[in-house]
Amino acid sequence: MLLTDTFKSAYTAITAHRMRSILTMLGIIIGVGSVVLMVSVGRSFERYVLDQVESFSSHLIEVYPTGFEKFGRTLDSLSFADYEAVLKLTTVKDVAPVIFIREKVSVGTEEISPNIFGTTHHFFSNYSLKLRDGRILNDSDFKGARSVAVLGFQAAEDLFGPNNPLENRIRIGQRFYTVVGVMDTVGSALLQDLDSFVYVPFTTARAQTGQKFMSYMTMKATIEDDALAMADVTSLLRQRHGIENPDNNYDKDDFRARSASQATEIVGTVGLGLTAFIGLIAGISLIVGGIGIMNIMLVSVTERTREIGLRKALGATRQDIMRQFLIEAVALTMLGGTIGIIGGAVIGAVLTAVASKFVGHVPFLLSIPALLSAAGMALAVGLLFGIVPARKAADLSPMEAIRWEG
Amino acid sequence: MPKKTKKTAAPLIETQNLHKSYFSEELETAVLHGINLTIHEEEFISIMGPSGSGKSTLMHILGFLDQPTQGKYLFRGEPTRTMTDDELAAIRATRVSFVFQAFNLLPRTSVLDNVMLPLLYHPTIPASERIDRSMEAIRAVDLTDRALYYTNQLSGGQQQRVAIARALVTDPDVIFADEPTGNLDSTSGNQVMEVLQNLHEQGGRTIILVTHEQSTAAHAKRIIHLKDGLVDSDVQSFKRISAKTNNTLEK
Repeated sequence: MLLTDTFKSAYTAITAHRMRSILTMLGIIIGVGSVVLMVSVGRSFERYVLDQVESFSSHLIEVYPTGFEKFGRTLDSLSFADYEAVLKLTTVKDVAPVIFIREKVSVGTEEISPNIFGTTHHFFSNYSLKLRDGRILNDSDFKGARSVAVLGFQAAEDLFGPNNPLENRIRIGQRFYTVVGVMDTVGSALLQDLDSFVYVPFTTARAQTGQKFMSYMTMKATIEDDALAMADVTSLLRQRHGIENPDNNYDKDDFRARSASQATEIVGTVGLGLTAFIGLIAGISLIVGGIGIMNIMLVSVTERTREIGLRKALGATRQDIMRQFLIEAVALTMLGGTIGIIGGAVIGAVLTAVASKFVGHVPFLLSIPALLSAAGMALAVGLLFGIVPARKAADLSPMEAIRWEG
Repeated sequence: MPKKTKKTAAPLIETQNLHKSYFSEELETAVLHGINLTIHEEEFISIMGPSGSGKSTLMHILGFLDQPTQGKYLFRGEPTRTMTDDELAAIRATRVSFVFQAFNLLPRTSVLDNVMLPLLYHPTIPASERIDRSMEAIRAVDLTDRALYYTNQLSGGQQQRVAIARALVTDPDVIFADEPTGNLDSTSGNQVMEVLQNLHEQGGRTIILVTHEQSTAAHAKRIIHLKDGLVDSDVQSFKRISAKTNNTLEK
């Protein structure tokens, strides 16, 4: 039998039993498709979360006071002198001190209770916050302790609605501030509440609250290794606070430094676990799909056995039969696998695109290992259940095969 | 479609003490108990007998669809017992053809593709001749206008004629027909018998027919009766029926 005839026979057999072929492929499509879809979407969202954390926080270091909070008093271990000392370090830059003002903010009758940060312009760059309108806090605001405020996107909306807040006055506690800038929306689910923040100059906040210490401070490492820069800051502060702590027992410190890269690592670990879990579920659906293929193939064994008997009666050799069934099984699994891969990828791309509309850019990552292992598994199942029965049937005498009752 | 003569000295089919048993779970069911038979070219033979007499089993062995358990089967003087699988496949592809009671056509496949099917497995007929040969065989059973129909769109009688065309297309030495009218009404049964008789009388083809109906068997020239796995009688048909002069098949 010519090879082209074998292909033609396989094609005829597939198209003549359309329902059987479609059902067989359906198992493969669903199995392969769900693995590709779920693992890819899982990886995409893992990437998304990492991007989020990294985008606003590369080399970011935060230092905040620790210890027991006493009644009516915030923790006071980080002094302004500490800030001046950290400024002199070469391993960190853009140090931004922060004082919280615990007051309400109002415009006319509109009143909100946002987080109010007294800080410097470095704060905005440290967290990659973007300006929408006006300007951010600057050096002369700091030096002059001016009564100016920058509003987060949501805070501006809550206070001014559709009106332009710039050059308008807001009241924070007993003091009036002039709005000089509005920040852009952060546009991410993770960092949403940054949108409702209100920012004023550090010096102004210090004057209004009378606070002699920092609520916390942020800075950026100037060297590649965030941990080294963090160690520098930590040892400086321990020395200034008179703390002997060679074995890094954080309970002995009255402050704590942390870097965003630590957070990235945690997110990465969680994401990996999540992907593995999703992969497991998808793997189960692949097995279910495989069982589906197996069922269809086993159900059609009787019919196929008779067809094989007929073909043998008409002069087909064992090799002719095996080749035809091999081509049939490969064609069905390849076609089903391809549709499954494309379908899974398209649905995944659509899902991430839809998600991007709500939570900011979600990249679509097609998981190649998932794709290959799913396709490989589908091929193995298709070949196994396509060829093993054919092989058995081809070993029968033509008459035994034609009369096969299953 | 006239038969090309391929005469040799040895008879076409010769069996000596042919036995066949089926085995299932250590239970042996003997069907043939020693058949001795000689069939020459250009014969038209009916093998008759009640169900269970072994007539179908005998035909399957003669048609290379099954193997005897014991005894000799010589085809054109060649012993068949030692033939390999591929040699047997080659004989099925070139020398013998089958017409089954249940037609055994591929469904949702055209008449032409069904008739052409044996040519795909034929070792010598070139691909370029397939369509011409198939159309000629289809013409011989008078179904030219149905050549592109799916087989499942045809009546039972037409389907059996497609099966005959498929048996004819490889120009075999012998055509076996296993109860070819068994699933047909008397009118289409008669048409099928007419086609077979024509193939024998005008085409000079060797035809071996298995049936349990006297009226069908009487279309042949020689009638072999089987009983309990043995040849009971082997006679020339004394009152031969011509399908051409009848409209229906007596049942």
